[in-house]
Amino acid sequence: MTQKQTGKRTKPVTEHVPQHVNHRFSSLDINRLGLWLFLVSDASFFIALLSSRFFVVGTSTPEHVDQLLGLGLTILLLLSSLTAYKAEAAFEDGDIPGAKKMLLYTMGMGIIFVFGVGFEWHEAFKHFPPSTGFGTVLFTLTGVHVTHVVTGVLTLGFVFFRIRNTTEIGENQFAVEGAVKWWHFVDVAWVFIYPTLYLIK
Amino acid sequence: MHKTLQQTLNPGWIVIGVLAVMTAAEYVVAVVVDDTTLLFALLLFVGLLKAWLIIQYFMHFGQLWVHISDLRDGILSNDPEADREED
Repeated sequence: MTQKQTGKRTKPVTEHVPQHVNHRFSSLDINRLGLWLFLVSDASFFIALLSSRFFVVGTSTPEHVDQLLGLGLTILLLLSSLTAYKAEAAFEDGDIPGAKKMLLYTMGMGIIFVFGVGFEWHEAFKHFPPSTGFGTVLFTLTGVHVTHVVTGVLTLGFVFFRIRNTTEIGENQFAVEGAVKWWHFVDVAWVFIYPTLYLIK
Repeated sequence: MHKTLQQTLNPGWIVIGVLAVMTAAEYVVAVVVDDTTLLFALLLFVGLLKAWLIIQYFMHFGQLWVHISDLRDGILSNDPEADREED
């Protein structure tokens, strides 16, 4: 006998709402759109920080800025974007071991990147501490960015453990896709941070 | 079995190759160009191009419009089954 026939409600009304919504909208579409909206809002934060460089110190760059380290960090992050892309592609192809391997490579490069920024900070403290104009810009920009890298590594790690014993793509699809998109976003942010901090003069 | 050239040079490798060339170009331009305005314009152009490559090919930006269309169709649909109360 159905609930309508008995006239009794056995569940709270609120429990019906998500089911009602899911009939009309794919939750995957909503998740994807939500992620893009979040990335756009986060990008505006980076744009504000990047523009602050020109307001605080103009276009002058101290000669002690380590150009090769900046280039090395850029290459590392670009390579990690490739492995993240490969991880997503492998997962969608059902190649879970391949996806896990690529996720590990990506996380490894992310961790090396964090140590590279740590080394940069160690050197920066000697030549342009945070109390100087360029130091303020460098520590703020790289600090915010490396925080994104750390959260990216943690998210990829979470996804790695989530898919380690699975054979199902469906329920893990957005987990992989979302984490990888986040990682690419971190890469896009660095694409602009690198010339702003290291190359402009 | 031999792979085709397209399979060997899959999009990921092509994009990363172009990004590597552009990063090298960026570095060379910064060393060679002395005019700040020109350098700023060139670096911004290369940066935007690199960002577009990553967003388009690695983040599949083109698929976003498909998701938006699906959501729009969901909003505009007049499916009585979808609006039916479960109870």
